Amino acid sequence: MFKNHIKIAWRNLRSDPKFSVLNILGLSVGLAITLLLFLFISHERSFDTMYAQKENIQRVLLFTDGDQGEETWTNAPAALAPAIVADIPEVKKASRMYRHNFGGNAFVKAGDEQFIEKDLYWADAELFQIFNVPFLRGNGQKALDKPNAVALSQSRALQYFGTIDIIGKTLNIDNGLELEVTGVYEDLPSNSTLDAAMVGSFKTLNFYKNPSWSNSSFETYIYTVDNTNIDEVVSKIQTTLNKNVVKEDQWYSFGLQPLEEVHLYSGGYLDSYSKRDGDINEVRNLTLLAFLILIIACINYMNLTTARSQKRTKDVGISKTLGASTQSLILRFYTETFLITGIAIALGIVLTIVALPFFNDITSRTIVVAEVLSPTFLFLLLGVWIITTLVAGSYPALHLSKFSPKEIMNPSPARKGAAKLVRKGLVVVQFAASVILIVSVAVMYKQMTFMQTKDLGFNPNQVLAINATVALENKSEDALLNKFKNNPIVQSVSLAQGYPGLGVSGRTLRKNDQDESGTNLQTNHSDAAIVDVLNLKLLAGQPLPRVKQRSDTIVEVLLNKKAVAYLGLSPEEAIGKKINAQLGSNAYIRGVVDDFNFTSLRAPIGAYAFHNRPIGEYKNYLLVRFRESDLSTTLSTFEADFKEIIPGGAFDYSFLDKNTEKLYEAEQRTAQIGLIFSILAIFVACLGLFGLAAFTAEQRDKEIGIRKVLGASVFGITKLLSTDFIKLVGIALIIAFPLAYYVMNNWLQEFAYRISIGWEPFIFTGLCALFVALLTVSLQSIKAALRNPIGALRKE
Amino acid sequence: MLLQLKNIYKWVTQGGRRIFLLNDLNLEVQEGEFISIMGPSGSGKSTLLNVIGMLDGFQEGEYDFLDEPVHAMKEKSRSKLYKEYIGFVFQQYHLIDELTVYENIETPLLYKNVKSSERKALVADMLDRFNIVGKKDLFPSQLSGGQQQLVGIARALVAKPKLILADEPTGNLNSQQSTEIMELFRDLNKEGVTIIQATHSESNASYGTRTIHLLDGMRDRSKE
Ligand SMILES: Nc1ncnc2c1ncn2[C@@H]1O[C@H](COP(=O)(O)OP(=O)(O)OP(=O)(O)O)[C@@H](O)[C@H]1O
Ligand SMILES: [Mg+2]
Repeated sequence: MFKNHIKIAWRNLRSDPKFSVLNILGLSVGLAITLLLFLFISHERSFDTMYAQKENIQRVLLFTDGDQGEETWTNAPAALAPAIVADIPEVKKASRMYRHNFGGNAFVKAGDEQFIEKDLYWADAELFQIFNVPFLRGNGQKALDKPNAVALSQSRALQYFGTIDIIGKTLNIDNGLELEVTGVYEDLPSNSTLDAAMVGSFKTLNFYKNPSWSNSSFETYIYTVDNTNIDEVVSKIQTTLNKNVVKEDQWYSFGLQPLEEVHLYSGGYLDSYSKRDGDINEVRNLTLLAFLILIIACINYMNLTTARSQKRTKDVGISKTLGASTQSLILRFYTETFLITGIAIALGIVLTIVALPFFNDITSRTIVVAEVLSPTFLFLLLGVWIITTLVAGSYPALHLSKFSPKEIMNPSPARKGAAKLVRKGLVVVQFAASVILIVSVAVMYKQMTFMQTKDLGFNPNQVLAINATVALENKSEDALLNKFKNNPIVQSVSLAQGYPGLGVSGRTLRKNDQDESGTNLQTNHSDAAIVDVLNLKLLAGQPLPRVKQRSDTIVEVLLNKKAVAYLGLSPEEAIGKKINAQLGSNAYIRGVVDDFNFTSLRAPIGAYAFHNRPIGEYKNYLLVRFRESDLSTTLSTFEADFKEIIPGGAFDYSFLDKNTEKLYEAEQRTAQIGLIFSILAIFVACLGLFGLAAFTAEQRDKEIGIRKVLGASVFGITKLLSTDFIKLVGIALIIAFPLAYYVMNNWLQEFAYRISIGWEPFIFTGLCALFVALLTVSLQSIKAALRNPIGALRKE
Repeated sequence: MLLQLKNIYKWVTQGGRRIFLLNDLNLEVQEGEFISIMGPSGSGKSTLLNVIGMLDGFQEGEYDFLDEPVHAMKEKSRSKLYKEYIGFVFQQYHLIDELTVYENIETPLLYKNVKSSERKALVADMLDRFNIVGKKDLFPSQLSGGQQQLVGIARALVAKPKLILADEPTGNLNSQQSTEIMELFRDLNKEGVTIIQATHSESNASYGTRTIHLLDGMRDRSKE
């Protein structure tokens, strides 16, 4: 019997190739998109699940009062970890992690070869005890026990030494430190938040010798014993803090975050070291997208199949008169759906695999084909197969099987009307979903464009940031500065601790001694030229002085408007005033610059200061504003200049405008995925519409013939057939617009600087949807209208 | 003279051979005539009606309608011409299932851009005349065959055509219904409407003022 069903299903499939192709194509494209999104989502959800002790691992969070309320940092002071392990019995182990140079690159010399290492961390020996990373060489438990020890990932070992048998070999970091290799570990999987390619022992660093309670730069993971009450631990941490730090200096408090939440639930947290940041909102949005697209594809299938099965109603009616039971008919339709979805899934898998490299590229993930074909995923696919079959097949199966033979062969107008209504409803849902997608993408792009073109208050174009750490090591920064000043392509050049978009040092700005809380002040150690290099607008006073003696105890400060406003001063009034900002007792305001967006546009502008206090922070970056010229020659003259001052130093640079763009990577990514998928979604929706229009034209063949005989024109017929569909699209627009507005308005709340949605995305989407629908439908309608009516009337 | 067909040839090519559907056909129709076309199945009756109704073309010959050369006309003017002067009645009625009786009758007027008030009056006239006022809101599927054909004729007449083309108008009806329809045609003809009907029935043909016989797409003069 079942075999018979399959045979009939197969014949039906082949007897109507146009519909079968539309059907399978629509479903498989929809499925492929859904599969890709599911892959991405399951990849995101699988983060850090490979660590055996994952349930016992927590990350320390630091809460502090920023200018706009609470900020959460994922870093803690270096003194915290040893103190809480000593004080709190539940905390068995703790490991601090510090990304080299606060996230900067390291210059690694292995033998005679130089490398730029982007993923060097420093960590306590406990790191590999807390995270059970498999070691290929050496003992992971002890690898970071001693100072000047380093463990390498397998691929770094191969890159630097060509082999992994390298225990005892040495590496040189930044032309200074000599590190001895004590272990080689398996590459960390792409779904591990820990993304270190090299880990040096924390004991090597000065931070270890003099751990402070004020500099909060260390991502700290703790291992707690089973059944620990985390709230209790948090309050015990507070007790330890009170013991060590006087209340006035406690500008923060602490919390804990379970490892399983680290990847997805750290949105808005500051200073995370891992480059693999996820976002639960992105995952939620994409899950929604996946379901929307699956629904669109299923609806497509239902529509096309019911449309087609109407042609087969007689056949069903006859089967029924011949005694076929309702159940067997239902089974027959489900079998057919099962077969088609099966083919579509197979094709969908192929499409998924083909699209995977591209998808990885835009999502910056590394999902491999093996994941598509992994047993769990195939199992999931079986689920998708069955669900799609049940959902997509439900309407045709139940719709056709339930009625009496007489009614099927000679349907009452009421029932025909009901069937039509359902089909129309489905098309509306399908189009509404597509419209929501398009509006969302349009709004995203509007916001992206806004962010890229907004006047940031400084000009990131034509500025190169060159890593000057090496120059600092051998005190050749002034020589480097002068060398660049003399390069004719260079307009201005400055040495600075950091640049907009890169975290600098956080201090507290107080109005006076009574001002206990103060406000958070970002401070950037730099020099006179920074105003020119960044094109800042000087509102009052002078830039920092050109010459600064190391012995000079006076500190000059250039504040932004926001900071001066906090002090309750106008820019002019502020000049020459002494300031209380943890910059020593002799700090004076020398100038005021207009506000500029030194972090992403997500956050409002806070207080910012450039200063020239010689102790404390290094000026790690040479910022070069250069004239318009051929980029590759510019870069090579810069590299030559750099190498002349620091022979053998690696030339590590980035463009400021690129760095600024990078701040919006996640949004760019969502927008890009959204764009591609909404194009595909509307394509699938149009396949459905196309099929439906073809079906309607066919079904109304006779009516079209009669109308032509009665004098209808081609245009009239086309209009008649199209208006119905256009009305549907119109209804879809009316339903979708408020939803899309609501969703995107929510999304925009993430940005302190945001567009108003306006009407353009809606006009744009409306026109797009109407145009595409009109094109799809009128092709069919015109074809039908042009046919000679006699043919249609002779039938029967 | 209402229309004149001169040496009409119509053929289809099948397997490289020409099959003639109309073969050197000549016909003159005066206004006020009631012509019956007879002939065996496949002899070309429907084809001839379609050609006269300008729904179908032909390869050779001349066709003048009200002294205008139809064979030299563009699609647009041809359709204008038949919209104006010709009404069709079919064996299968060919009502639009989705429309009510009233709407079905109204449709030709819509395509002639008749004003709404005038449409109402014209449709009401028809409903009155055919005694189907009570059925005006029903759908075709809710009517008997005879009633459907009445609606079909009402629809053909509503735009006040000069010529009614009826292809076996009673083919699907019983003899009593047939008689009613034929008497209706005779009355219409008396009012001045020219009628051409294709039929298999001698008795139906006898309502006409003239009968022409077809055989293999040619006039069968032996029977006329
Ligand atoms: N498009 C076509 N292609 C091929 N042959 C056709 C075509 N149209 C009509 N014919 C043939 O032309 C001949 C005449 O058909 P027509 O429908 O005019 O006959 P008829 O006299 O109306 O017959 P009936 O009494 O059965 O209605 C038939 O043999 C038919 O098969
Ligand atoms: Mg015929």
